[in-house]
Order: sequence, then structure tokens, then C-alpha cells
Amino acid sequence: MSRILPPDFGELSPDISEVLFTAEQIQARVLNLAAEISAEYRDKNPVLVGVLKGVLFFMADLLQALPIAAEVDFLSVANYSNESRSQGLVRLVKDLETPIEGRHILFVEDVIDTGLTLNYLLRTLQARQPASLEVCVLFNKPDKRLIDIPLRFIGFDIPDRFVVGYGLDFREKYRNLPYVGSLKPSVISGKPGK
Amino acid sequence: MSNSENGKPHFAGPVEETFAKILDYYGIDWVYEPRTFPLEVDANGNLIEAFTPDFYLPQQDLYIELTTLRPHLARYKNRRMRLMQQLYPDVKIKLLKRRELRDMLIKYGLMQEAEPIQGTQAQLREP
Repeated sequence: MSRILPPDFGELSPDISEVLFTAEQIQARVLNLAAEISAEYRDKNPVLVGVLKGVLFFMADLLQALPIAAEVDFLSVANYSNESRSQGLVRLVKDLETPIEGRHILFVEDVIDTGLTLNYLLRTLQARQPASLEVCVLFNKPDKRLIDIPLRFIGFDIPDRFVVGYGLDFREKYRNLPYVGSLKPSVISGKPGK
Repeated sequence: MSNSENGKPHFAGPVEETFAKILDYYGIDWVYEPRTFPLEVDANGNLIEAFTPDFYLPQQDLYIELTTLRPHLARYKNRRMRLMQQLYPDVKIKLLKRRELRDMLIKYGLMQEAEPIQGTQAQLREP
């Protein structure tokens, strides 16, 4: 496959070394996923649950392509960091507003790598006794998985690279890129490239 | 594995300790260096080479080995991983390489911890 150079997107483009998925490729795959999900969840009025903030674009596009009754809700979680680790175990910063007992839950993720966060969240949701709990992920990094988690719907398997765009960030930047690309190593290291 | 007075393991380095803290944070059970796998014995049955993976995750039945070696220095560890797969095909083991560890630390905003494994070579991808 030939390397796709990033199209112009203002001051963000120079930091991208390569486009992995164009906006058109992403939209086409989201439509396919929506069709699969619709077939599975027709007449079940599922609750689509996402984790802020990375899932923002995927959730919006997926919902708009879903021709069935569905609800949406969001969680926010404090990931491991120097600030949060002093407070012990991982915790929800924002919980669901929807009671999910007896409901069909589709957990929608932008990207899954180690599975550590997702494993915690699924255990938390499972304890609330939903009728079903499945996972839909747009970008799956299987090579990085530490915790085995069954994934019902997968958009793309992607290589082990630091990717940004379509909701994915690096230090809160690049989420608004319409495509997904890999960052230049010099951007990650903060040191000028050679 | 040896334990300190407070019962915590003596980790081989700061990356192992940080990794253990991340697992703790996400509620994942782990054991540090619980098992040594013989890799080579001589004609008299004496152990010549063995391998002790850094972590074992009981719920996943998965061993994890961390390496912060630069790719061109990691051949020795890669060879041991190949031997492990040949001799113990039923044992699940994953090698987390320098770049993977770096990306994980960056993802969690641990820039200071990532700095020692930020070398240029670590970021260059193999073709």
C-alpha cells in the first residue's frame, strides 16, 4: 500500500507523517458498522455508551447512520496519571445518567489498545446487570492487548503506532483532524526532527 | 523475586515499578517474577539458561516481559522469547518493547517516566 501524505489541515498537517485512514474511508466503515449494528439491535432500543472525549466524532457519525431507535450516554474516566494515581484506583469522573439494568448496552470505543481502561469500565457496567453488554470499536490495536476482551464490532485493526485525528489526541491536540494519521516521532519526543 | 520489608517486590527498575502501579490503578492482579522457565540444560541436566518473565497476570493467564533496550540491543531478549514459544507453546507471554512502553507512559501523561526511553532509535519504526 502506498503512503498517503496528509492533506492540508492548517497548522496541524506538518506534524503528521502519514495518513492511515482518510475521512472517506472512515465514513464508509462507519456506515458498514451502523448497518451491522442496526441488524443486531432492531427493536431492542439499545443504549450506546461512550467514553469522553475521544469517542465524540465516532459516536456522532455512528448515531446519525443508525436507522433504529437508540439512546446515547457518556462516561468520563480519570486515566492513570501523576495527578490521579495519588487517589488510588481508577474512578469515574462522570457517570451515566441512564439506568442500564435490563437494557441492551453497546459500548462504543474510538480506540482499544491494552484494554486496561475498557476492562475496568465493562466490569463496572456489568455489575449494573444490563440485559446485554457488547463492544464496538472503531480502531483496534490487537498487538497491544494485555487484557482479552470480546469485541462484537470492529472498524479497523490498526498497527501499533501513535495515531491521532477523528477524536484521537496527543496532549489534547489533533482531535479535530478529519482523518487518522501517525504523528512524527519528533512531535512525540518534543525534539526537533533531523 | 525478592521482597522488601513492606512486602512489595524489589523491582528491577523504575519502568517495572511504574507498570505495576498502572496495573494496580486499573485493578488488575499481578505477580512479579513468579516463575523461572528453563531454556537450556547440559547433558548432565544442569541448567545453562533460564528465563524469568517480569510479570504474571493470573486473571489473564498471561506473562509479560518488559524491555527498555533499544531495538538493535534486544536480540538476546527476542531469542529468549522465541525459545519460550518453542519450549512452552501453551504459555501465553507478551514482550512489551521499548517503544510500546514509551507510548504507554506518554498516553498516561507520564512524560518524566518516559524520558529515559525516549531515544531517537526507539521511535524509528522498522520498515
